[in-house]
Amino acid sequence: MIRIDFNRLRFLVIDDNAHMRRILRTLLHGFGTREVYEAEDGAAGLEAFTHYSPDIVITDWAMPIFDGLELTQMIRQPDSNANPYVPIIMLTGHSEKKRVIRARDAGVTEFLAKPISAKSLYQRVLNVVANPRPFIRTKTYFGPDRRRNATASYPGPERRKGGDKVDVIRIQPLLAKATSSL
Amino acid sequence: MSRTRRDAPAVKTYADHEVIVPAHELSRAVTLTGTDIGPDLAAIERAEQALSELKTEFEDWMKLECDRLDAARLRAKAEGIRHAVRDQLFHAAHDIKGEAKTFGYPLAAEVAESLCRLIEHTPDPRSIPFTLVDQHVDGIRAIIREDARESSDPVGSAMVTRLRHVTDEFLVHANRRRLGYLDGIVITPPPLAPRE
Repeated sequence: MIRIDFNRLRFLVIDDNAHMRRILRTLLHGFGTREVYEAEDGAAGLEAFTHYSPDIVITDWAMPIFDGLELTQMIRQPDSNANPYVPIIMLTGHSEKKRVIRARDAGVTEFLAKPISAKSLYQRVLNVVANPRPFIRTKTYFGPDRRRNATASYPGPERRKGGDKVDVIRIQPLLAKATSSL
Repeated sequence: MSRTRRDAPAVKTYADHEVIVPAHELSRAVTLTGTDIGPDLAAIERAEQALSELKTEFEDWMKLECDRLDAARLRAKAEGIRHAVRDQLFHAAHDIKGEAKTFGYPLAAEVAESLCRLIEHTPDPRSIPFTLVDQHVDGIRAIIREDARESSDPVGSAMVTRLRHVTDEFLVHANRRRLGYLDGIVITPPPLAPRE
């Protein structure tokens, strides 16, 4: 079994709704987290991110001042002093496909649609901790690899250019390591 | 608060992109144990138990969210549904849509979702009939007042279906000049009454 030691992880929760922040804090404490920082808007969230250097950011989409998407784009500045590789989980009531794509293209790591459950939140955290994705930098994008899986059977065009055959850097997820060692 | 310096990421450069593998610092929080590769069910159960202990507050929280929606509705009536007022009304409905099921009122979430669709997909929000806004807001209030917590509640689910039909009919009419805009948003319902 893969067990996450939540007491070794620091979370930043950014949501303008106090009830949702309380729910997230309760779930994270239930998992065993001791350090949960909170912010109630995008600007305060960016300041808290810079100050506390959390391991994982959980952010809402719709917030005053600037929203979760804009916050993600600011965090993902590749040359910033803060950690641009931090896993960002977007928690939102928006679940339409076009919204998910926008969040992905802004550099969000995982997307979690409301209503929230302990199991769904746990699974997203497990994904970012045990199965991290490499980052891709192009002229127009910097963020987690938007391909969740590299598959040899993909029938479409290869948009990335790297020669006749693009090298795929495979990172063995800890989950796979666990099964191979059994 | 300073953190220890991070190891530099590994970078592989290609013609039009770079692949960057950051140091996996979060692996310090992972322990591999036993032979079961499933999630830590004990941790999930603890979290669910902690959330269930909050349930005594959910009813009050739901009422506060309803009050907020009501205040946004009143402001919209006074000032018209536009700009910041539109955003306030949408945001209040959006929050209920995201929270009501967790609070134990799944039907309220569905009504809120219908209201969000109405506001978001009407080209000119000022054209939204207030009666339709009132029906949504009053519908949510009625669900809370009657404590209709089951999604199978016959009166509540009939109201949700009716509201959705009426809203969809309005959206189809409001978007008649935007061909294809409602694809995937509205499944055109059959008319509820014979058309003239």
